[in-house]
Amino acid sequence: MNMTIAPTALAVRAEGINFAYGQGSARNEVLFDVSLELPPGQLAVLTGPSGSGKTTLLTLIGGLRTLQGGGVAVLGRDLSGLAARELMLVRRDIGFIFQMHNLFDSLSAEENVRMALELGHLSPEAVRRTARDMLKRLGLEDRVDYKPRALSGGQRQRVAIARALANMPKLVLADEPTAALDKDATRNVLGLLKQMALENGTAVLMVTHDHRIIDLADRLIHMVDGHIASDVMLDNSGRLREFLKTVEPFSALNPADLAGMAEAATLRHFEPGEVIIRQGEEGDELFLISEGEVEVRREDHEVARLGPSEFFGEAALISGEKRNATVIATEALDAYVVGKAELRQAMKKSSRFGEQLRRFFVRRR
Amino acid sequence: MTALALPRRLTPGSVPLAWRNLVADRWRLLRSSAGIAFAVLLMLVQLGFEQAFFVASLSAVQQLDGDLFVMNASKYRFGTRDPFPHREIDAIRGVPGIASAAPLYADWMGFWWTSPIDDKPHLIRVFAFDPDAPPVFLLPQIAEQQSLLKADDAVLVDRNSRRFLGMDGATEAKLNSLNVRVAGSFALGPDFMSDGTVVMSDRLFAKLLPGNRDQPAALPIETAVIRLGAGENLAIAQQRLSAALPSTLMVMTKAEIVDFERKFQAQLSSAAPIFWLGALVGFAVGTLICYQIIYTDLSDRLPQYATLKGIGYGNSYLARSVLTQAALTGIGGYVPAWLLSLAVYRIIASVALLPLEMTWRLTAISFVLTLGMSLLAGVLAVRRVIAADPAEIF
Repeated sequence: MNMTIAPTALAVRAEGINFAYGQGSARNEVLFDVSLELPPGQLAVLTGPSGSGKTTLLTLIGGLRTLQGGGVAVLGRDLSGLAARELMLVRRDIGFIFQMHNLFDSLSAEENVRMALELGHLSPEAVRRTARDMLKRLGLEDRVDYKPRALSGGQRQRVAIARALANMPKLVLADEPTAALDKDATRNVLGLLKQMALENGTAVLMVTHDHRIIDLADRLIHMVDGHIASDVMLDNSGRLREFLKTVEPFSALNPADLAGMAEAATLRHFEPGEVIIRQGEEGDELFLISEGEVEVRREDHEVARLGPSEFFGEAALISGEKRNATVIATEALDAYVVGKAELRQAMKKSSRFGEQLRRFFVRRR
Repeated sequence: MTALALPRRLTPGSVPLAWRNLVADRWRLLRSSAGIAFAVLLMLVQLGFEQAFFVASLSAVQQLDGDLFVMNASKYRFGTRDPFPHREIDAIRGVPGIASAAPLYADWMGFWWTSPIDDKPHLIRVFAFDPDAPPVFLLPQIAEQQSLLKADDAVLVDRNSRRFLGMDGATEAKLNSLNVRVAGSFALGPDFMSDGTVVMSDRLFAKLLPGNRDQPAALPIETAVIRLGAGENLAIAQQRLSAALPSTLMVMTKAEIVDFERKFQAQLSSAAPIFWLGALVGFAVGTLICYQIIYTDLSDRLPQYATLKGIGYGNSYLARSVLTQAALTGIGGYVPAWLLSLAVYRIIASVALLPLEMTWRLTAISFVLTLGMSLLAGVLAVRRVIAADPAEIF
């Protein structure tokens, strides 16, 4: 049964979506009563294990599949009962970033982007100018006349992103859009999406497992087995809370303590080569790596390298001794910093957390 | 009200997707052009033969120089002997409005020319007339040399006859075992039945025709070549003549006698269908080659086409692009095949003495067939793009 959805100002309004592939005994249900509202300007990240129904949900919202049950309204238009041709018109207003970039090898980067722009009513000059502008914003100004074959994987992915965003769509649906991108390109793409969200009210629904994106998202939707398992709005502390859940001893904290710790932590940036803590100094802070890598040195010997979701600096806090090692950022580093007092309080409140942290401390010595 | 603006993809200046896809891979383009050119050349040769067959078959009748022609009503074509009695010529001459009526004698199965090359007798075609009467052929070389035929043993030969007859350059020869003198030559060319042609006086014809006992003045006439007086109406004269003659005779205009022969060749002889069948084989081969090329190309780009559908392109755009690419693929094979056919025609024409010639008609027919086969292949292949599911690419 399809539902009729009243037009709203929401970018996406999905209600009670059920979906199954195949027929009869081969029937495989992938979505169960999924409801979702996405307001304009929101960047929502969809995560979940493979087979959880993320991509199917994306294709239903994008009008690429016919609804079986439930209702979807996209940009104020009810998709249920639309003919193929009407769905095609709805799709013109959506920016799709596909996992496979699928650029025409016969066309230059600019022409691939123009293919999307030519669905509108711009003049040939405006189409050309807009395509070049968009490629420039993605750092491809010196690659506009290159064929995809002559571009790197990341450059091709950026051309595909330019194709999806050139029309300034009010809704962007993306599936792992940054898989082929390096750090700078990812930041560039996210900056562009954020800007479009602010200036154009573009809503973004993105399937990704890229931490760098989750850090910047407004909302994190987690799917398991065709259901929405969690749906959290991420302010700074919310984002940190989600992050802390991924760091082992902290995942033992109950939600209230997790929130308290997130509240107290601050994000700090370090340049490559910067010394974060020095052996022999007093220590009263714990560092959790969000992004980047550090080198741990003891008596001028490298003893370890630590990356995202790992932490350091706990030894001095637990034992009260001086810093037992020097830690240097090997690349640009973002780390959450937790003070001694907050950590001690958390250890007092949750004996399990304290025990796990101590066990970590012992193992590291 | 704003004017209804066409979407950009349909107007000039948009991305020429079909062209870009065509020329994306130079080697593939070269290979596909060669394949299609082969099929087009096959069609062009067959169509060229068909055209040459008609041109050659009609060349003699088209050279007849008269307004009206009287023949035996039982004749089913011009090029077969079936003469009417000589006395009818007086009845013809008696009809008002007729300026002259010259008897044309002809034979296709009774004259043997002994070739100076191999010294063997070969069957040839012979035309004969009264050298004192007005010319019956349009060929100026015959009209100018008509008076030479007044000599007893003089003949004119077709220097474009098949080489093995040795007519070109011959000064004397043996015709039905009698010696004749070659007084001059003209250029007509063989057809699919006769290898060579000799023109002579009615008196020599009466002497050489096997089994003939008639005097020249009593020889049965193959065709009476009639000229009308100045200002006479052709249709009225034709009616008047038909009315005056017995029903065993028929009266035709020049256009009708040419058409009479063409109809025989087209409907009763099997030559034309054979050549058209040959062209059809070329068409089928071309369609298959074309389909293979387009299908492969589409298969390679299927995810891209599905992506276009995903972002909002309709089937009509994709079909138009694929068909344009198919047509361009066909034209890519047509141009080299057309150029190559000029050389092939020349070679066949000189070897087989056939009037094989590129004409606007051949150009147009073969072009339409080429477009037809590539578009047919495109239509068969485009279903694959139309069936592509944009949901599969996410």
